[in-house]
Amino acid sequence: MSPSLLELRDVGKVFGDTVALEPTTFSVDEGSFVAIVGPSGCGKSTLFNVIAGLLAPDSGAVVMNGSAVTGTTGHVGYMLQKDLLVPWRTVQDNITMAARLTRRVTDADRAEARRVAEQYGLGEFLNHYPSALSGGMRQRVAFMRTLVTHQPLLLLDEPFGALDAQTRLEMQQWLLQVWRDTGRTVLFITHDVDESLFLSDRVVVMSPRPGRIVADFANTLARPRTVDTLTDATFIELKSRVMHLLHGGTS
Amino acid sequence: MSESVAPTGGSTRGPRAGASRAGRKVARNVGIPLLSIVLLLALWEAIVVVFHVAPYIAPRPRQAILAVTQNWSVLWPLTLGTIRETVYGFVTGAALGLTLGVVMAKVPVLQRLVYPVLVLSQAVPIIALAAPLVLILGFSVAPKVVIVAWIVFFPVTVNVLDGLSHVDRDLINLARVFGAPRWRTFLQIEIPATTTPLFSGLKIGATYAVTGAIIGELAASDGASLALYQEHANSNLNTAAVYGTTMLMTVIGISWFLLVVGAEVWATPWQRRSVARRHWWRRS
Repeated sequence: MSPSLLELRDVGKVFGDTVALEPTTFSVDEGSFVAIVGPSGCGKSTLFNVIAGLLAPDSGAVVMNGSAVTGTTGHVGYMLQKDLLVPWRTVQDNITMAARLTRRVTDADRAEARRVAEQYGLGEFLNHYPSALSGGMRQRVAFMRTLVTHQPLLLLDEPFGALDAQTRLEMQQWLLQVWRDTGRTVLFITHDVDESLFLSDRVVVMSPRPGRIVADFANTLARPRTVDTLTDATFIELKSRVMHLLHGGTS
Repeated sequence: MSESVAPTGGSTRGPRAGASRAGRKVARNVGIPLLSIVLLLALWEAIVVVFHVAPYIAPRPRQAILAVTQNWSVLWPLTLGTIRETVYGFVTGAALGLTLGVVMAKVPVLQRLVYPVLVLSQAVPIIALAAPLVLILGFSVAPKVVIVAWIVFFPVTVNVLDGLSHVDRDLINLARVFGAPRWRTFLQIEIPATTTPLFSGLKIGATYAVTGAIIGELAASDGASLALYQEHANSNLNTAAVYGTTMLMTVIGISWFLLVVGAEVWATPWQRRSVARRHWWRRS
């Protein structure tokens, strides 16, 4: 078995009377692509914020590469549905934002930003301000900004949730390509069942009141995934299983 | 501007077309406001002529302007004095306003403690401030600077405070996830995110700054100043000079406002451009 990059040990979080996340134990293997799917209020964002260190859990520990990082930040790459690009910086300077926020930006940082942007089709836009880009391009820049932090674990919280269906499919395929190229570990939150199945090696289903994991299974769909994957018999079968889990069933 | 400001995609027109488009833009942004000033002066002229207004009530615009230009050697040093008071006061007020805004945003206790005092400070009639200021600071440039700063700092503080408290929480969280120390988040995220409200405050301050300087001159001058010159002209029934001086003060006020607007345009290129300017200090 490959070693776990991330381990959660009985991590729980309560807000007032609401159990946002029941004590949860789960681990993520290095290099895997794990999708967490669930309706709003199921604790997936709480889980994310605890892993990122934005939120201290009431109980349990977050362990990265064998060392506890509970309640601390700076150990993951992180991306939300909002691209959070700063309007006063160019594409290139947005990509190097993490470096700028932690140390001096070096020529190497700038060169890497240029290389990544060129590699993924935004080379001509390095000197553009984000306001000149489309929604899909902005999300791509946001993802590059996450990528150049060189964190082994990328937390993506519904990163394509605000995009139209066509752009989203394009972005999903692009993300898979980048994931293959870079060998990072991805933890991907979504409420879109199709998206979770299309992207992942493993699907974790969560349920609200109290927020908890109700299922955790391997996604056996063949790679590479294409548009045909979406109509594959296995895909339909897995989808129906997740749908049942999300809407009351227990199978 | 040497580079094209057009968004990318399909600009096949040559540089000549770009130049004429830029020309049209300048004509629109400068020509139309200038035209409105010319129309205003024409209206003034028309009213004076049509209603046979007596020259000691209102001169024609031309006469008011001549009253300034013909006495330029006297008025220029006074104008310089007013400009100096305005600039010193504005810079002091802006610096104070920015500092207060930042400190109040970062220390909530101070915010609750200081905010009522700030509001109180603006409720005091400025003219009533002048007498004690003269007692404390004499008839120097200092009381005028204090009055201008008194007027300018408030909108700056309020806007900066507002701007800092509305910076996107998710953006600050993102910086935290990256492992950014708070001071870097402040410099790299919070301060630039506050540029627009800061300039809103500065522009409001700029419109009132000259008024403040003139009030200061009225109340705290023993020697020569634009305000006293105008008072003097008034008591001599030199109406053209009264109107002319008013116009001169207005021109100082507008110029200062435009300078601040220019600073904003320079400092926030992302508001109008899609591609960044190239700078010698900017490395790629």
